[in-house]
Amino acid sequence: MKTEAISHIKFGVMNPEYIKALGVVKLTVPDTYNEDGYPIDGGLLDQRLGVIDPGLICKTCGARAKSCPGHFGRIELVRPAIHSEFGKTLYMILQSTCRNCNRLLLDDESLAKYRGEKPIDPDAIVAEGEEGAAEVKSAMLKRLKDIKKCERCGTQKKKLKFSLPTYFYVEDYKLKPNEIRDMVSKISNDDLEILGIDAENSRPEWLIIDILLVPPVNVRPSITLESGERSEDELTHKLVDIMRINQRLEQNLNAGAPQIIIDDLWELLQYHVTTYFNNETSNIPPARHRSGRALKTLTQRLKGKEGRFRYNLSGKRVNYSARTVISVDPNVDIDEVGVPFAIASKLTVPFYVTEWNIEHAKKMLMSKDYPAVLNVISRDGKRKRVIDTNKEEILKELSPGDMMERQLVDGDIVLFNRQPSLHRMSIMAHRTKVLPGKTFRINLCVAAPYNADFDGDEMNLHVPQTLEARAEAKVLMMAHNQVFSPRDGNVVIGTEQDGITGAYEMTAEDAYVTKEEAAYLLAVSGIYELPEEAKNGKYLARDVFSMLLPRDLSFEFKTKSGKAKIKNGRLIDGRIDNNSIGRGNNALFMKIRNDYGFEELKKFIYSSSKMLDAYVTLMGFTLGVREYVNDDRLVKDRERMLAETFEKVKKLISDYKEGKLESLIGYTQKSSLERMIIAELNLVRDRAGADVLKTKTEKNTAMDMVSSGARGNILNVVQMMMFLGQQATITGGRINRGYATRRALPHIEPGDLSPKGRGFVTTSFYGGLDPIDLFMHAVGSRGSEIYKALLTARSGYLYRRLSNALQDYYVDVDYSVRDAANNLIETQYGGDLVDPMYTKVKNIE
Amino acid sequence: MAKEEKNKFRVQYGEAVGTVAAQSLGEPGTQMILRSFHYAGVESTISTSGLPRIVELVDAKKKPTTPITYIYLDKGIAKSFDKADEMVRKISEVTMNSVVRRVDENFAKGKIRLILSSQEVEAARITTKGVASKISKDFGFETKADGRTIEISVGTRDPKKVRAERVRIMNSIISGIEGAGKVMIRQDEQTKEFYLIASGSDIESIIDIPGVDSTRIITNDVFAVYRLFGVEAARNVIADELAKTLNEQKIGVNRRHLALIADAMTARGNIKGVGRHGLSGEKGSVLARAAYEETVKHLVHAAVYGEIDHMNGVTENVLVGKQVPVGTGTVKLAIKKEDLSKIGKKK
Repeated sequence: MKTEAISHIKFGVMNPEYIKALGVVKLTVPDTYNEDGYPIDGGLLDQRLGVIDPGLICKTCGARAKSCPGHFGRIELVRPAIHSEFGKTLYMILQSTCRNCNRLLLDDESLAKYRGEKPIDPDAIVAEGEEGAAEVKSAMLKRLKDIKKCERCGTQKKKLKFSLPTYFYVEDYKLKPNEIRDMVSKISNDDLEILGIDAENSRPEWLIIDILLVPPVNVRPSITLESGERSEDELTHKLVDIMRINQRLEQNLNAGAPQIIIDDLWELLQYHVTTYFNNETSNIPPARHRSGRALKTLTQRLKGKEGRFRYNLSGKRVNYSARTVISVDPNVDIDEVGVPFAIASKLTVPFYVTEWNIEHAKKMLMSKDYPAVLNVISRDGKRKRVIDTNKEEILKELSPGDMMERQLVDGDIVLFNRQPSLHRMSIMAHRTKVLPGKTFRINLCVAAPYNADFDGDEMNLHVPQTLEARAEAKVLMMAHNQVFSPRDGNVVIGTEQDGITGAYEMTAEDAYVTKEEAAYLLAVSGIYELPEEAKNGKYLARDVFSMLLPRDLSFEFKTKSGKAKIKNGRLIDGRIDNNSIGRGNNALFMKIRNDYGFEELKKFIYSSSKMLDAYVTLMGFTLGVREYVNDDRLVKDRERMLAETFEKVKKLISDYKEGKLESLIGYTQKSSLERMIIAELNLVRDRAGADVLKTKTEKNTAMDMVSSGARGNILNVVQMMMFLGQQATITGGRINRGYATRRALPHIEPGDLSPKGRGFVTTSFYGGLDPIDLFMHAVGSRGSEIYKALLTARSGYLYRRLSNALQDYYVDVDYSVRDAANNLIETQYGGDLVDPMYTKVKNIE
Repeated sequence: MAKEEKNKFRVQYGEAVGTVAAQSLGEPGTQMILRSFHYAGVESTISTSGLPRIVELVDAKKKPTTPITYIYLDKGIAKSFDKADEMVRKISEVTMNSVVRRVDENFAKGKIRLILSSQEVEAARITTKGVASKISKDFGFETKADGRTIEISVGTRDPKKVRAERVRIMNSIISGIEGAGKVMIRQDEQTKEFYLIASGSDIESIIDIPGVDSTRIITNDVFAVYRLFGVEAARNVIADELAKTLNEQKIGVNRRHLALIADAMTARGNIKGVGRHGLSGEKGSVLARAAYEETVKHLVHAAVYGEIDHMNGVTENVLVGKQVPVGTGTVKLAIKKEDLSKIGKKK
């Protein structure tokens, strides 16, 4: 079959002739199956509409279930019905045209103007370009709506009332669909085109339905329940309703029933047609299922998150993919992924047989070892599963141009993904490494860009199936090419926690290791030579670390606590911490990337993280309660600081009560007081932090983690050693509710504005919270939990809107930014053509 | 910097910069927190911050929830507190609503009695008498001032009319510029220069006041800037405000992403939000619009007006299963496979 890419799609309204031609069967029986369980001819499951049951043959195309695409049928309505979605369009047309001369209500001069043959008065032009055209059009429509008398023939316009979805009244007379059709069918194409309507393809009279197109059974398959009972699709039910009423209407018409009965039935037919198209039409009660649930009709099938567009068309399902739980493996490189054998033996990679590799291909096909060939697809597209019994036969037929699907092996390029895929580092390419076990294995360092942890997270793996896709994955998407975030140029793949502690300890000025230890550390990271000996057969730990650095690297950089200096690949000054080995603004990584490239950087990250982890394991690193014991000095400091602050707050409150408090701009006195108190209470927490930093000078692993940036910050330490500080509500205010008297607990005086009464927790985790503090802490935690839930929903929608609005923008050959319609968005990307991924480099910001 | 070095840092042709920008702003969205307890000092002004402010900006909301204007004074008077104070009195908007503590209507006598709040009156540096005469002047009513009480005879006993007058009076402005909001004086730590912060954004009126340095006035109201200075200035305000909001939360997003979003919103010469009423709703592609929001509306419109989808965007090509026209999808082979054989024959 010849295939062609879709170049464009034109939309229009189906005309009755077309529907008649497309609808191969005229459906007459409002039922589905007869007593024998056989589809009724002329019924809604007529076999000429296509077949879905295996074994049956379609009576229209003669094909079997899987290959028959289905065929449309038609219902010929005895009285027409208006297509409910087009009510507004019809109203607009009727409003704009004269019932007497059937032209637009405008005189020739205006017509010429709106047709663009004559210039439009400047007043009508609001802005240039498209915007202007839209403005002109809406101005024209408004004018047409307001015209009382036809400018052409002078006929007075009768007041037309429209009520959604399909009701039209002229002076209390309800227009019948056929009357509306008569009106609009007299309007010329030329006039309609001035209204913007594509009259050639969308005549307004086609919006009134005489022949209803019935979708093929493939669109509304019936399902067989366990009991053997058949259950029809909701759409089929709706169509049965339409046909029933249609039949009844016909019988009544033939019997010459009174007009009232006819009109009622006609109305009912209109109702069913309306709900068939859209069961959520406003002003119309939805058609219901037997259970009372509203039916899902055509519109409901298309719209929304679970609709055809977003669920089935925008979201594709794929083969050649796998999903399982992830776990850590420090021996897996950052651009590798450990794939369980069970998965690797099912997933396949295409192998194209050519005249140059056919011998190899044959050998692989016949091999009893891993990797095996699972399928062979011959050049004419026939797919054969390779099993022991047909191997010989396939081997004989194998020729250049065939494709074989072989099992996944070490080193294959795959895409690895964790949802939600919030940024491009959520899908990265990795090299496979087939491993025993049942989980995907990744290096700890790449967990961060995926935002993954190992408490049961699952991830997806995809195998690119064309050479082009594989090449793109390898060049553009490899994990080590994604070390830097395009968001701000910061490092997102770096050493974590223990590794940073290790680096901090290891690069201390006085850290020495024995020869054995040095050899071990180096061997772990794949280095088999020793640095210079420092003294007494001992080695400086930072010299051992320096062995990881490129030999000719010399530069100075800022660290978290100060400065560091590397000369000829040797760290001679400063300590390595989070700012030079971890995530964030990491000067060392950037230097290595710029001078040696991504490949070298990858090696450095991998080998350093291994060595550093080995170092912490070797030396030991313990965190215990003793780290948080607050000595007498801290206890005294705490009391003093809190007393000082409370005194200040007291002063603020008394000032406020005496009306002496000067309010802040835009705030009332009361909220000014709140702001000032909150500021004061925050200040004390920061001061406590500074105090802890100053006091805790002796060896303290908790403080070491804080100062190296491995984990935790000074605030955490303050909360453990000193006090928790102010607990906030969702709105950011202090806690003041629960009782009618605006207090959180009965233990608090009504109107108490003091810190303690409004959720300032003065006790610490180490000392234990007192009952009131515990309660306040719980209030704060609950609030933040709720807030988080609200925020994710809000930010998710913001993200959807943003990505939808911006997704077509790309950098053109001239480095301008263009959208899908080739509109110019930026003349030069970012003004300087710099990729944001590289913006943390010196000299570029 | 060496030329090749610079080329290394260049954006690549075809790069889907729009998507990267959207991700850069969308991904940290969940990290944004209400960090009101993290400010070191007292914020002198109310301002919407965090996610709500970001949403407000990209939605192109006509009026910010909390407008703020920074008014700098002419060099000559900027160092004088008294002059600055005088400017405050000229600009600062004092409404009747803000100074009145209580309103009583006497329908039988056709009188309205206002009781002013001493605090507010003092803060706004006005007097009861002044307010009373202002009412007399503006509305032509007879007024009587006593202490903090003003009695107004509205000259009618019709309760409806009395009530209407009350509303009119309460909404009136006693002093300053309508839309300027409350104004406060600030001093720049470094230059020792005094400047004003207003909780309104009517820069169109403020800029004309003598003493205001018209070259340095700045507001967070995108549309006010758009009206007065034009679309390019508005574009800068959008980008600046986004940057400021993210900065407050210590979220690093490169300026280029924010600039692209601002450029996208302003590329058509006016300001468009990113939602269904803005950029997404005005896409050329029917399918892209239908796949986004209001599916049926767009399909119906396309049918009546005979729209054509040219399949130029990302969404529509995903829908039909074609390669998307960004990134590596922008590149095509220069020679068709069929033509290749012809070339061979010629030789």
